Amino acid sequence: MIKKISLIILLISVSFLSAQEMEFGEVTKEELLETKCPIDSSANAMVIYKYRNTYFDVNISGGGQTVTEIYQKIKIYNKEGFENATRQIRLFESKSAREVLSKLKAVTYNLEGDKIVETKLEKNQIFENEQSYNITETKFTMPKVKEGSVIEFKYRVTSPFYWAIDEFRFQSHIPIKKIEARIKTPESFVFKPTFKGYISFYPKRESYIGSGLGGESMVVDVYNLDNVPALKEELYVDNIDNYTAGVNYELASVEVSLGVTRDFAKTWGDVAKSIGSSDDYKKELDKTRTFDKILDPILADASSKEEKMKLIFKYVKDNIKWNGRDGIYFQKGIKKSLKEKEGNAGDINLALVAMLRYADIDANPLVISTKDNQIPYFPTLEKLNYVVAYAEINEKQYFLDATQEFSDINLLPLRDYNWDGIFIDNPNKIWKKVSLLSPKQAITQYQIDAKLAEDGVVEGDFKSRLSGHQAYLFREEIKDQDMDAFITSREDDFNDIEISNYETKNTDAYEGNVNESFSFYQENGAEVLSDKIYFQPLMFMRMNENPFKLDKREYPIDFGFPFKDMYIVNVDIPEGYELESDLTPLMLRSPDGNIEFKYTVSVMNNKLRLSAVFDIKEAKHAAETYLILKEIFKQAISKQAEQIVLKKI
Amino acid sequence: MNYKNIVGIILLLTTLNVMSQSGTYAVFEIPEELKKNANAVVRLSNLDIVIERKNKMTLTYTRVVTVLNERGNKFVEAYAGYDNQLKIRKIEAHVYDEYGEEIKKIKKRDFIDQSAVDGGTLYSDSRVLYMPYMPTTYPYTVFFTYEMETQNTAFIPSWRPITGYYVSTEKDSYTLKDLANLGIRYKTKNFEEYDIEVKNNDKSLAFNLSNIQAKKPEQLSPVLSKMTPHGMIAVNQFHYYGADGYASNWKEFGDWVFNALLKGRNTVSNATQDKITQLVKGIDNPLERAQKVYEYVQNNTRYISVQVGIGGVQPIPASEVDRLKYGDCKGLTNYTQALLTVANVPSYYSVVQAGDEIVDFDPEFATLEQGNHIILAIPNGDELTWIDCTTQVHPFGFIGDFTDNRNVLLVKEGGSEIVKTTFYPDNQNTQNTNAKIKLESNGNFSSDVEINTQGIQYDSRFRIESLSNKDLMSYYKNLWGSINDLNVSSYKFSNDKDLVKFTEELQVNAKGYATINNESIIFSPNVFNKNTFVPDRYRNRQFNMEIQRGYLDVDEFEIEIPENYVVEGLPEHVTINNKFGEYAIEFSVNESNIVYKRKLLIKKGEYSKEDYNLYRDFRRKVSKLDKSIIVLKSK
Repeated sequence: MIKKISLIILLISVSFLSAQEMEFGEVTKEELLETKCPIDSSANAMVIYKYRNTYFDVNISGGGQTVTEIYQKIKIYNKEGFENATRQIRLFESKSAREVLSKLKAVTYNLEGDKIVETKLEKNQIFENEQSYNITETKFTMPKVKEGSVIEFKYRVTSPFYWAIDEFRFQSHIPIKKIEARIKTPESFVFKPTFKGYISFYPKRESYIGSGLGGESMVVDVYNLDNVPALKEELYVDNIDNYTAGVNYELASVEVSLGVTRDFAKTWGDVAKSIGSSDDYKKELDKTRTFDKILDPILADASSKEEKMKLIFKYVKDNIKWNGRDGIYFQKGIKKSLKEKEGNAGDINLALVAMLRYADIDANPLVISTKDNQIPYFPTLEKLNYVVAYAEINEKQYFLDATQEFSDINLLPLRDYNWDGIFIDNPNKIWKKVSLLSPKQAITQYQIDAKLAEDGVVEGDFKSRLSGHQAYLFREEIKDQDMDAFITSREDDFNDIEISNYETKNTDAYEGNVNESFSFYQENGAEVLSDKIYFQPLMFMRMNENPFKLDKREYPIDFGFPFKDMYIVNVDIPEGYELESDLTPLMLRSPDGNIEFKYTVSVMNNKLRLSAVFDIKEAKHAAETYLILKEIFKQAISKQAEQIVLKKI
Repeated sequence: MNYKNIVGIILLLTTLNVMSQSGTYAVFEIPEELKKNANAVVRLSNLDIVIERKNKMTLTYTRVVTVLNERGNKFVEAYAGYDNQLKIRKIEAHVYDEYGEEIKKIKKRDFIDQSAVDGGTLYSDSRVLYMPYMPTTYPYTVFFTYEMETQNTAFIPSWRPITGYYVSTEKDSYTLKDLANLGIRYKTKNFEEYDIEVKNNDKSLAFNLSNIQAKKPEQLSPVLSKMTPHGMIAVNQFHYYGADGYASNWKEFGDWVFNALLKGRNTVSNATQDKITQLVKGIDNPLERAQKVYEYVQNNTRYISVQVGIGGVQPIPASEVDRLKYGDCKGLTNYTQALLTVANVPSYYSVVQAGDEIVDFDPEFATLEQGNHIILAIPNGDELTWIDCTTQVHPFGFIGDFTDNRNVLLVKEGGSEIVKTTFYPDNQNTQNTNAKIKLESNGNFSSDVEINTQGIQYDSRFRIESLSNKDLMSYYKNLWGSINDLNVSSYKFSNDKDLVKFTEELQVNAKGYATINNESIIFSPNVFNKNTFVPDRYRNRQFNMEIQRGYLDVDEFEIEIPENYVVEGLPEHVTINNKFGEYAIEFSVNESNIVYKRKLLIKKGEYSKEDYNLYRDFRRKVSKLDKSIIVLKSK
């Protein structure tokens, strides 16, 4: 659709194109002699200067294109940094147009004695490889790279896909000393920048009146960043790309002729409306469909709308399997995907909407961006990749995604819980951004009834009940597993206990709880020393290692879903023994009340009773909470490691 | 009748045969015993190879797989790798439902064409065509077939009917027809336990096997490929990238490698020659000269892999590595050899199967199929010193667990042979940990720790010296994960490359290590080397057990106890000695000190499946004893 707009011919005067601060070839002895990165002494390499200039241009046949000039200068400190000497440039092509790489030049600099020695990248060491039908990769590695080398490379990419400008990336796995980035677009093409990452930066905006052919004014954004630290991925992060500094430019509108503007996206309402006005949503979905043959017999006995919704959800799950593809639109369409019994996310969840509507349920599509697709911080169509179904019955909200075997109503696959949703209600002309119902807290109850013997052997029974996403994950894990191997892996998980009578319940279904139970035998369940027994009452269920090991965290912690683990342990202690140690309970709570740990042990009449609760009320926790979270885990672990001392009477 | 016609007829027959079977892939026809423990069933795997001429070989492959559940998808293997000389003539696939009804047909143009370059390679001409099919219901069956052609007859695919766990096979067959009289050689391994039909004469060879039940993996078993049938096949006369060759044994094969692949690629620039001459000037001992050259290579080159055509087995010329300062294992080894020649040190290019799993070259059967890496041998009296030219960090003469203790092909003009690389014995793969630990009455401790590693344990340790501070902290926090709230306040490393010994000197402290209980303090004296590994339990073990490398850990921890406390309870001394190794702990108590001594020796060896449970018992005891506790009481 964007392609059809005729582009006003622009000619950009060259005078202010090359404003880059560092020029190719200006490598100094100081740079070569440097042995440690001044920003981060642990860095193996550092980008000394990263330059990018993207601007609009006209190709030979008068069509629009963007030109991107790249220049980078990188210092290699040690052998671990050598990987930065290998570069790849990915180019995209469609059926009719392709991106073109030109003017690739690269040089390695080394200090030999007192002399700076240059080694140029040879043409025959540049390899072009057709990765797949629409991606070509150019790859090269710099010659004569040693510890201490400085490498430089520059190139230019010309792209006919001017409406899709590649992200400007301002952060990487190695530190960057200086960044300069420029983007120049015609005033009539409104590109909206969206910023991301935890480093703050702002562009300097410049306008050049009448600098293009035909008096077209140009808009230039200039970014200057210094000393950008490296960003590395840690545990419990949804998608590290959400937190890497960068900026995306999205085409928002084009002035087609004087005073006449065509909008592409501005607010989320606009985005919703533009999805709503697509053929798929406007015609395909709203076309009156007759599902009578399929649905009428199924829904015949259903009395309430909730019941009907459940039956339709199950029908779609059973009859259209997900082919692994995302999508906010149809890949095949309702009819074809029902016939072929497979489809993408659009086929499945839009079919679900259509069928719910047939059953007279107020249902609409909800377009989202999944976790692997980043969080869209600003209104944009390009960053949305998925659609789920939304229904309202008696003012109650229902979110449905029928692509996964174990998903349920209001229990979506975890990838869906990334951000908000774009609500597209064409019948009532409501197009807006809405919040997604956050995942319900998954509650797991563990109960252990055991008997401790005088020689330290512990035997007993284990029972657990898992709900919500804990049940979902368990179902996925156990599906199609060889049972013996699965039990062995449970024995491994549980500190090498020996398991018998292993049973699970309700793991094939997607509704309700999962139950797991078994009997166990643990030879060294407790430590016996002279006439005393030392015993950790949470036994093989105790947490051993703090998952949070670093001293600080720059981005949020994402557990995927909130959870509450509850433990009840009853242990018969051997006859003739009595408690020697003090039993102090522990209760920890974060200031915001979202993280809680409680632990109590008591002994009465030769019966030990433990009750513990780990309660994480939110899936996501701000980076500022990290140290509190780490501390709570730490104290909880050391509490669970406490030995209870039993003494022979 | 010419050969062409014969081939035509053979192919036609095969096709007809295949066609007539295609309707019969309903799932109910699979025998029950083949469904047991199986995620997929290979209904048919059939490879027909026809050598028409010395430089023309066709491969016709048919594979029919019924996938029973999601975990079985990987056994479909509906793809074909190709490159500039290995061409795909025909390829197609059919998908059938549970009842054997066709649900999809995939033609050649529907296959997805993709580069098959792995992450470690800069460029390669390897590509792959793969079937784009997303299964939505189970079970389903894929019928896949291709026909490929190559000029290279140096490499004849071998036959391996069992390549994975949780997959059974209904029928697997292999035929080779040598219409060009090149001379078939073959060798079989692990055929005894299977009912394999072997047919052969001068011009053909066929293997056939039916109804193989699915196997389940077991910890510490030898790799599957060592326990399952393997037919290795080669022809004496062959063609390889435009040139003919001949080899019927390793000596001849080595000659071919030398003459066809290496010869004339070992010159470097005069400037480099001068540099090397200068470098080794005045050094008499050839090994010392070699060490200088090796270190020069380590400091001036890096590993980058480019594999195009014959470049898959032939090194790029030494002059090119000299200019670019990078190369793959072949290129860097050949370059080092060239420099050693300048330094007047003889050395031998050697082909090895690298990886921490030890895989030997078969001394009796020469094929191009064996080997995936190149190392260099330097004669040292009657022995050989080995170097790996692709690593920039290993000490001279130390190859570690990547290429140790295995048969390799040493290439020597007129005298190539199979030799064994360095073996690192159990008691030389050591880790010695010495610590002085000061325990506080609040349960905290602080400690000075020194860890020395040698042999194979050196190999798994010394790389930490290049980690960043942040990564090191997480390394130690993971290593000693069971110590809650651990803090490493200082560290110092020394890497003695002559002795091949790595030393870590650390200052470590932790809060709340010991449990405080009224008047007593409870703690585990094995602070820094708890070995909690216990092998998995099998109700009915099938496979033997193998420990490929042994090791020896010796620890001594001197624990200073808080003032006003005395030892109340101490674990007993223990010594265990069996065929798997040794374990011993002992304690001695002075006034304010407890000295804890520990030794764990694990012996390399091959053990029966009955031994497995005994070994498991041994490790269970070690795990239990390593967690022993000591109780202190206030005076």
